[in-house]
Amino acid sequence: MSPTSTLSSQLTSRNPADETAPVRIAVKDLNFYYGQFHGLKNVNLNFHDRQVTALIGPSGCGKSTLLRTFNRIYSLYPEQRATGQILLDGQNVLDPKIDLNELRARVGMVFQKPTPFPMSIYDNVAFGLRLYERLPKSELDGRVEDALRKSALWDEVKDKLKQAGTGLSGGQQQRLCIARSVAQRPEVILFDEPTSALDPISTGRIEELIEQLRNEFTIVIVTHNMQQAARISQFTAFMYLGELIEFAPTTKMFMNPEKRQTQDYITGRFG
Amino acid sequence: MDAQNPILAPAPAGAPSLRANRVRPGRRVADKILITASTAATMLGILVLGSILLMLIVEGVKGFSPLLFTQPTPGPGTEGGGIANAIVGSMVLTFLGIVIATPVGLMAGTFLAEYGRGSKLADVIRFLNDILLSAPSILIGLFVYTLMVRPMGSYSGWAGGVALAIIATPVIVRTTEDMLRLVPSQMREAGAALGAPPSHVIKTITWRAASAGIVTGIILALARIAGETAPLLFTALNNNNWFNANLLGGIPNLPVMIYQFALSPYSNWQGLAWSGALLITITILALSVIARIVVKDQRAR
Repeated sequence: MSPTSTLSSQLTSRNPADETAPVRIAVKDLNFYYGQFHGLKNVNLNFHDRQVTALIGPSGCGKSTLLRTFNRIYSLYPEQRATGQILLDGQNVLDPKIDLNELRARVGMVFQKPTPFPMSIYDNVAFGLRLYERLPKSELDGRVEDALRKSALWDEVKDKLKQAGTGLSGGQQQRLCIARSVAQRPEVILFDEPTSALDPISTGRIEELIEQLRNEFTIVIVTHNMQQAARISQFTAFMYLGELIEFAPTTKMFMNPEKRQTQDYITGRFG
Repeated sequence: MDAQNPILAPAPAGAPSLRANRVRPGRRVADKILITASTAATMLGILVLGSILLMLIVEGVKGFSPLLFTQPTPGPGTEGGGIANAIVGSMVLTFLGIVIATPVGLMAGTFLAEYGRGSKLADVIRFLNDILLSAPSILIGLFVYTLMVRPMGSYSGWAGGVALAIIATPVIVRTTEDMLRLVPSQMREAGAALGAPPSHVIKTITWRAASAGIVTGIILALARIAGETAPLLFTALNNNNWFNANLLGGIPNLPVMIYQFALSPYSNWQGLAWSGALLITITILALSVIARIVVKDQRAR
């Protein structure tokens, strides 16, 4: 069985890409630098509302770098900088005047390794809610429950909300991190290889979850796993050496890519 | 299939055993020598430490009585008395020292690990802190003498507390920084990604994640200053009575009491010095055990 036929079998059960969905994030002439190193080169790309867009490419191609510009998390490191424009609902995220904390409440992020905070499950989910909103206890409880339900974790933790978040299994921890983001009711959720540290069963649950979250949120996911991109995304962007090589609806990307390099990568000839 | 596999196939009859000459004889000898040498060195260490502890327990326990903990130190050449004033004095001085050193050390360690990451200033501070960490404690005593005792015109518990704080601070700075650095940077990123400003991330996430290590550092600093003598010689001095409530004048304390009494010709004083030494050792041992338990407790969670 050739790699492409494996991939196409993954494509069958998916929701089709909605190319008419409004643009949530528009990336224009984005360049990114790690000190002297030019990490992203003139990237132009649109992300559609309530669609899952997968970023694929070999290690070091800049897919995580691109993801980390959307909430400007890179700005924690002084030697990293970006030029160009990233318009989130028309507002330039790279504008130095933008309120970073507000931006990050609108653009959630889930990391490769689960990062539960050293506090109870409840406090983990309520962390973002307590930052800028002063909610009465009953409403806070409601928001926490809602977020845990949406993250398919409620039934497993409803009786132990006061226990430490670090005591959960890896897959549960990752869903807790998703709940933490969801609780803030962001517009966009960024996933940076969210399943690469998880076992296949946990991976399956996270993928189902992402499929459900798509009804409410715009999702961008970096993945090393092309089957995963084929299973869960509507759009796919292929990157190589800091450049965007091809962007297309996932079905088209995997069945009939336009560029030679894309074809070579998805059939496993390099990467 | 196994029959074709050269690894699993039985060795042909008469083939030399593989094991016989795999290890050169020189290797075996070197191995034996290293094992013997390291065992001997360990034994020597245990022997020295063990004999010190044994002597301390044998001599120190003799003086243990209710009087030891209730009576102040006796005058020269007199019988009876205890070391109650030195015990309380030592507790006050150590408490003062750790109360001053903890906030300074915690904040400085946080600066080095969080805000000053990669900055030149942080490198300089870290270097100076390491020097302070190994500075001779008698120098710190002299420093505080010129800084506080001379201008104030009197030895005092305050000067003693400051001298002990200067010893404890670099220990706390170092452990705080090391423990905060062990917190994965993804944890900070996750906090920032939820829109939390750096100060909030530090307060609610990184400090909490490193809390056991930081507390251990503080306890170890406490153990370190509980037995310090040199910095107190020039600052708190000693006193054979109860001390003033305002901590001015000499403050009785265990280390300097031991130093003076052990060198004295009076057997009563020498006995009290042994008991004091045992008491300090037990305290430091207890603090170290507590520090270990704190770390274990954190790992279990």
